[in-house]
Amino acid sequence: MGSSSRGHQFNIGALLAGGLIVAFLGACSKKEVKERPEPVIAPIPVDAEVEDFPIGEFGATVIETTTGDIATLNPLVNESNSGSEVIGRILDSLITLDPNTGEVIPNLAKSWDISEDNLEYTFHLREGVHWSDGHPFTADDVIFTWNCFFAKKRNPETGEVILDENGKPEYRYNSRSTFSQQINGQEPKFEKLDDYTVRFTTPEVYAPFLLFGGGEEILPKHVLEAAYEDGTLMDQWSLDTAINEPWKIVGLNLFVLESYRPGERIVFAPNPNFWKVNTEGARLPYVQRVITKIVPDVNSSNVAFAQGLTDFETITPDNVAWVQRGEESHDYTVLDMGPANSTNFIWFNLRPGENADGVPYVAPHKFAWFSDKYFRQAISYGINREGIIKGVYFGRANVLNGYVSPKRKFWYNDAIRKFSYLPEKSRALFAEIGFEYRNGKLFDGAGNPVEFSIMTNAGNGLRVEMATVFKENMAALGIDVELQFLDFNTIVNKISDSFDYESCMLGLGGGAPDPFAGKDILMSGGRLHFWNPQQKEPATEWEARIDELMLEIGRNTDVEKRKADFFEVQAILAEQQAMLFLVSPTDYVGYRNRWQNIEPTPLGGVTWNQESLWAEVDE
Amino acid sequence: MISFIFRRLLTLIPLLLGITALVFILMSLAPGDFLTPVKAQRDVPAELIESIQRDFGLDQPWYVQYFKWLGNLAQGNLGHSWAYKLPVADLIGQRVLATFLLSLVALTFSWCIAIPLGVLAAVYKDSIFDRISAGLAYAALSIPEFFLALLLVFFAAQTGWFPMGGATSIDYEYMSFGGQLADRAYHLILPGLALGIGSIASIMRIMRANFLDTIRAEFVTTARAKGVKEFVVMFKHVLRNAINPLVSAFGFAFSSLLSGALMVEIVLQYPGLGQLMYQSILREDQFVVLASVMLGCTMLVLGNLLADILLAWSDPRIRLEKKK
Repeated sequence: MGSSSRGHQFNIGALLAGGLIVAFLGACSKKEVKERPEPVIAPIPVDAEVEDFPIGEFGATVIETTTGDIATLNPLVNESNSGSEVIGRILDSLITLDPNTGEVIPNLAKSWDISEDNLEYTFHLREGVHWSDGHPFTADDVIFTWNCFFAKKRNPETGEVILDENGKPEYRYNSRSTFSQQINGQEPKFEKLDDYTVRFTTPEVYAPFLLFGGGEEILPKHVLEAAYEDGTLMDQWSLDTAINEPWKIVGLNLFVLESYRPGERIVFAPNPNFWKVNTEGARLPYVQRVITKIVPDVNSSNVAFAQGLTDFETITPDNVAWVQRGEESHDYTVLDMGPANSTNFIWFNLRPGENADGVPYVAPHKFAWFSDKYFRQAISYGINREGIIKGVYFGRANVLNGYVSPKRKFWYNDAIRKFSYLPEKSRALFAEIGFEYRNGKLFDGAGNPVEFSIMTNAGNGLRVEMATVFKENMAALGIDVELQFLDFNTIVNKISDSFDYESCMLGLGGGAPDPFAGKDILMSGGRLHFWNPQQKEPATEWEARIDELMLEIGRNTDVEKRKADFFEVQAILAEQQAMLFLVSPTDYVGYRNRWQNIEPTPLGGVTWNQESLWAEVDE
Repeated sequence: MISFIFRRLLTLIPLLLGITALVFILMSLAPGDFLTPVKAQRDVPAELIESIQRDFGLDQPWYVQYFKWLGNLAQGNLGHSWAYKLPVADLIGQRVLATFLLSLVALTFSWCIAIPLGVLAAVYKDSIFDRISAGLAYAALSIPEFFLALLLVFFAAQTGWFPMGGATSIDYEYMSFGGQLADRAYHLILPGLALGIGSIASIMRIMRANFLDTIRAEFVTTARAKGVKEFVVMFKHVLRNAINPLVSAFGFAFSSLLSGALMVEIVLQYPGLGQLMYQSILREDQFVVLASVMLGCTMLVLGNLLADILLAWSDPRIRLEKKK
C-alpha cells in the first residue's frame, strides 16, 4: 500500500506541474502567426489634405482606455460604442463635420455639387488616395459600400428578387444602414460617373442626405468583394480576424489595427498611406502607436488617467473633483468643455386604451391628469433643477430647458418657455385645474390623492439620485411619488411593449448633429416617441403639428427654414412639457501636458486633430 | 472500469438536456432579450430590429428556439454568438487557455501550501501553530473571493507593486519570449492569490483531520511500539495514508478549473472565460451562455469521474466490482 500511494502522489504532482507548464507555454506562445505582409507605401496623394499646424516630432505612443470590449470590427454588424470608436479610427467617410461649427466639410470627397432640384448629389473624390494596404481608393469602393447596404436576396434559379409578405424586397445583409439610408421606404440611387466621381440620387428631396449618406464609412471593395459574393460578408472582420490577421482590416483613416487581445487591449499603428500631410509634406500622423486598454467602466478609466497612466480622457462630472487634484503631480490638464450633448428628462405615460387583458395602461383618473398640459407644467415648475445640479452634480451640470442641449448652438432655441423652480406657480396651476390641498396633500377635483410612481434604471447612480430629489420636490407640493429603480431591460420593455408604468426618467446620449435624426423620438409614429410611441394617427393636435414640421425639416434644404421649423418644434415641446427636461451634465476632458498642437473645441474635444498631435519621445 | 466510465458519461446526456432547457426557460423569463438595449437607441430603424428578430428566431417561443438549438447541437454546432458573429466554440477557444492557466496556478499554489500546513497542524496539534493556522484558515474561509480580489486591487493601486488587473502589460507584444513568460507570471500573482487562498484553508483543514484520524490507527501504534522514529512514523507511514482522501478532493478541484474563477476574473479584469460568460449573461447572448453552462456542467461530471477513478486506483478497497 505504501508504495502504491507513493506512486500516486508523484502522479498528481507531475500532473499539476506538467499542466502548468503546458498552459503557461500555450498562453505565451503565439499561434503560428501568419506573416504580416510588408506594407505597400503609395506615393502621397495629389489631393492630400495639408494640416496647418506647427511641425511636430514623429514617434510618440498614445496610451488610453476604452470602456467595454469590442465585439466585432465589421461596421455592418457593430452595435457597441466601443466598437464604433475603434472602427471609426480605421474606416473613413466622404464627409466629416467641422469641429468648431459642426458644418459638413470635405473629407474623402474633396467637394460636391447638389443639383438645382436638390435630388442629385455628385461627390468628387480625392485623387491618388490609397487604402492602408496600398490599393487605390476609387469610386468603385463607394459604390461597393452602398451595394452592401442594398443587396437583395435573389432566387438562385430565376435570379428574381425575393419579396417579403409586405411586398418589400428581402435584403442579403441587414445592417443599420440598409434601413436608415432608405428615404421614406425608398432606396437612393447611386452610380459611378468616373473613377473619382459618384452621383447619388434621392427619390425625394431629403435634406440630411449630405450628412447621413456622406457620413457612411467606406468599405474596401478589393478586400470584401469575395465575401460579398459568397454571402459571408457579415462574418468578415470578426474578432478572429482581429486576433490572427489584423492587417486584413484595411482602412482609409488615421490608423490600422496592429493587434488585439480580447478583454485586454487594442493596439493601433498609423495607416502608412494616410492622406493628410503636415506643412512640410510629411505624411501624418505623428504618433507611432496607440495602445488602448480595455477597462470595464468609466470609473476605472478615470482612475487610470488620474494616475498618469493614460494620455487622453473624458471625465465624468462626478469624478472631476478628485481627478483635478492630480493635475500638478501627474502633469495633466482637465478642461471644462461646457454642457454635454446628453440630456436627462422625465415623461408621463400618455398611452391611451388598455392592454390585451382589458386593464388600462394607466388608471383613468391618472391618465386624465397626465394628459392635461397644465398638470405637466405644474409638475415642471415644481422641479428644483438648480437643486439637482448642486446636490447631485456638485455644480457640474447645466439647467436644461428643452429638447436641444445648449451645446448644439446652431439648433438651440433659447426663446422657448422655461420652467424655473417656482412652487407657488405650480400650486396656482393646480388650483386652476380644480385640484385642492387638504392637510398639505394634493387631491384632484374628484377627490383622488395625487400620487404616482416614477421608474428609472438602477444601474445609473446619478439618475437614481435625481429621482430622489424629484421625489422630495414633489413631496413639497403635497404629491406622493413612489420610486422604482429597475433593470434597464425591464424599463425598455415597459416603455416600448407593455406600457404598464406611470412615469419614467431616462436620458439620451450624444446624437447626430441633424435635427432629423430625432424623428423617431419627436414624430408620433416613432419607435422612441417616449410618452406614446408608434401612434397610427397623431393623438393630439400639437403632435400632428410636430409631425408636419419634422417632415418639412426632412424635405427642406433651406437651412434657415429648417432652423425656424426646428425652433417651433422645440417651442411646442416646451409649452406641452411632454418631456420634462432636467439637466445636461458638463463635459470634461483631460490630456497629459506633454502633447503639443492641442486645440480643444466643444464639438471635437481634444483629439479631433489627432493626426497633428505629437509629443517628445522619451529616450 | 471502462463500462463504469461509459455509464458515467452517458448520464451526462440527460443532465445536459435538463440544464440547457432550464437555461432556455430562465432566459425567456428574464426581462428583455439580446435586442432590448438596441431598441433603446434612437437611430436604429424598426425594420432592422424586426429583421434581426426573425434571423435570430427571437420572435418564437423558447421551446421552438430550444429544439432548433438542439438540432444544431446534434450536428456538432454550438451556434453563433449574436454579439460577436463568431462560432461559440471559437469564442471560447480564445479565452479558455487564460482561465485554465489561472485556475491551475491557483490550484498548485493552494495545494502546495495547504498540505504541508495541514500536516504540521496535525503533528503539532493544539500547539500555538495549530491555533494560529486554524484562526487564519477560518478567516480565509470567511472572506469571499470577490472581496479578497477587491482588497488586492486596492493593495496594488496603493503600493504600485503589482498590476491592477489584466493578464499582460501594455508592452507585452514587444517583449522577448522570456520577458513574456515573466510578465504573465507577474500578472498571475494577485488573481492566483485571490482564487487560491480560500481553498488553502479548506484543504488544510481536511488534511489535518485526516492526519489526526490516521495517527490513531493501529498500524501507527504498532510502528511506534516497534521503536520506529517518530519522524519516520509521521512522514513515511501516516502521511501516505492520510493523503488518500485528498486524491478525490483533487478530482473535485479539477471540475472548477474552467468555471471557478468568474468573480476573480471580473474584479481583476482578467481576460478569461469567466468575463466572457458574465458579459454574455448580461447581454443575453444566448448561445454563449448555453455553451458556458454546458462546459461547466461537463467539467463537473468529468471532475467527479476523475475523483472516483483516482480513488479506485489509489485505494484497492474501493475496487469491489470485480466480484461477479
